[in-house]
Amino acid sequence: MVTVNSKQNPSSERLNIVVLVKPVPDPKEPPKFKPDGTLDRLSMKLVMNPYDKYAVEAALQLREALGGIVIGVSMAPPHAIDALREALAMGVDEFILLSDPRLAGSDTLATSYALSMVVKKLWSKLGKVDLVLCGVESSDSNTAHIGPEVAEWLGLPSVSYVDKILEVSGGYVKVKKLIEGGYMVIRVKMPAVLTIAGTSYTPRIPTLRDVITARRKQITTLNADDVSIDTSKVGLLGSPTRVIKMWAAEIKRRGKIFTDTDIDRLIDNFLAELRKDGVKLK
Amino acid sequence: MSKIFVYAEVVEEGIAEPSLELIGRARELADKHGFSVSAMLVGFGVRKLADELIYRGASEVHVVDNEVLSKYNLLFYTRAIVEVVENEKPDIFLFPATTTGRELAPRVAARLGTGITADCTAIEIGDYVDPITGKKYEKLLYQIRPTFGGTIMAAIVTPNHRPQMATVRPGVYSVPPRDTSRSGRIKEWTIDFSEEDVGCLEVLEVKRERRKVDLRSAKIIVSGGRGARPEGFKLIRELAELLGGEVGASRAAVDAGWISYDHQVGLTGQTVKPDIYIAVGISGAIQHVVGMKDSKIIIAINKDPEAPIFRIADYGLVGDLFVIIPKLIERLKVAKS
Ligand SMILES: Cc1cc2nc3c(=O)[nH]c(=O)nc-3n(C[C@H](O)[C@H](O)[C@H](O)COP(=O)(O)OP(=O)(O)OC[C@H]3O[C@@H](n4cnc5c(N)ncnc54)[C@H](O)[C@@H]3O)c2cc1C
Repeated sequence: MVTVNSKQNPSSERLNIVVLVKPVPDPKEPPKFKPDGTLDRLSMKLVMNPYDKYAVEAALQLREALGGIVIGVSMAPPHAIDALREALAMGVDEFILLSDPRLAGSDTLATSYALSMVVKKLWSKLGKVDLVLCGVESSDSNTAHIGPEVAEWLGLPSVSYVDKILEVSGGYVKVKKLIEGGYMVIRVKMPAVLTIAGTSYTPRIPTLRDVITARRKQITTLNADDVSIDTSKVGLLGSPTRVIKMWAAEIKRRGKIFTDTDIDRLIDNFLAELRKDGVKLK
Repeated sequence: MSKIFVYAEVVEEGIAEPSLELIGRARELADKHGFSVSAMLVGFGVRKLADELIYRGASEVHVVDNEVLSKYNLLFYTRAIVEVVENEKPDIFLFPATTTGRELAPRVAARLGTGITADCTAIEIGDYVDPITGKKYEKLLYQIRPTFGGTIMAAIVTPNHRPQMATVRPGVYSVPPRDTSRSGRIKEWTIDFSEEDVGCLEVLEVKRERRKVDLRSAKIIVSGGRGARPEGFKLIRELAELLGGEVGASRAAVDAGWISYDHQVGLTGQTVKPDIYIAVGISGAIQHVVGMKDSKIIIAINKDPEAPIFRIADYGLVGDLFVIIPKLIERLKVAKS
């Protein structure tokens, strides 16, 4: 749980938290390709990026401890709306969906710019934003760029790979960050951007009632002009990087899976297969 | 001559290995395609490490050595690197895909307004013709990486922005030999940090275990995860011993305190390529998989038939490890005698 220092953090200091959520193709389903070899994104079912659930959970725990509001922000095509309902069902108060055909093909620099413009808009509407949280990376592209890049566009400090938010007090947030071989404890001045690793938070599972309540929550759809995005900086042409080629990764694995409730038979079959394939365990 | 910059990450032991690997790879590409290789060294008391970078292949080292950099500070480090880049104008800038590299590099890229590709598993130099304008580019950095949880590979270029940036996965290139006869230029930079807000981001504590066990030369590794629990690790040790192998672990098992960090495999642990890797009670999270996916043969034992580890396994045993492993040990012992 988060430690709250009530002396330094009067109830008037409720937190305005923005959580960035990415709808991604369901990681449980294999990707689909068009005949020309490019990804068939439209036919893939979208779900909330699993890593973002940890960020939502962290935000909700902070709101429960300190009071405040949690606003979800997403940049995605309109059919992503079901994935956002998942976040609302978990307890996010409202959602902003930035959706515009001119954003299609944006790379991480362009995407982070667009998202930062939404955060700026919210900032002026709410008077302040204290924290921007997002998952450590997305399950489809795994770049981990969006958090630090959004922070850069907003001119805010950031910490990536946050294992846990330890304390919020006196305008600072103290976090534990994962590193090679251990941890770092870092204190950051708010407003700040944090990317949340999935190691210390267990995302809550919405009840049926939560799911029904979520249907009444507001999802505001905005386009690029609504948040004053310079469209020369987004989309395929506004992105510095270009994907020149994509191909299916060769998974040269045998994929022999043994399921048998009779454990002796399971082991027999497995060892027999190893022998057949000429694999020696020792 | 166009320059390749490599970020030299510093850890207690000296220059972090993934940075040395990148110096080695940059040197290969530079010799073949006519670039120079420079290292970017940031910290406090780090000047003395510059020679090491030259011995490994850099022809130039840019050093920012300042007391305010004694502890890692994302904002100050970004500031220092950006200032050097703006003056030196490298064509390519490579960072190791460590936890530091993967937060520092995107900040540097965004401040410079350039593109970046994360966690590349290969980097090459090649030409590119823009299909829209027909413009031809020579000697671009091909940034090659897996995506969609490793099911798809993508090659990416940054045609019009400089530097072309990428983080590169540790362990894909090897550490180059140390050649003390090499010489190079060391350039020290003085950067004024007096305007910076020191309290904005502060590292209060670093807890980092040094690695004592080297799993990289092991032929067989039996690794345990959260599903193994302390009792399971007894079985795992027994199996490893019987097979003449080493014991590995997922980060979840290490964080739970069942085994020391020395044994961790994955993004923040070691990258291993044994002949046989047996994953026991490990789900197969991407951060674990990057550390073991190049093992010759992967065997997974997991009670969840949907566990992602089965997707990269040669042999998968679906079931309770507390039943399977004792049986397996029994059978192997019989076979032995
Ligand atoms: C920045 C960052 C760095 C990271 N670095 C690393 C790293 O270097 N290495 C690493 O491993 N992880 C790393 N992680 C963590 C990673 O994301 C996963 O959380 C971790 O790998 C999960 O470990 P696990 O598979 O042991 O646990 P879980 O994902 O909890 O999986 C446990 C598995 O055990 C199975 N199981 C349970 N009981 C039994 C039983 N009785 N019999 C058989 N099977 C059973 C379950 O079905 C499940 O699949 C990192 C994460 C981040 C964000």
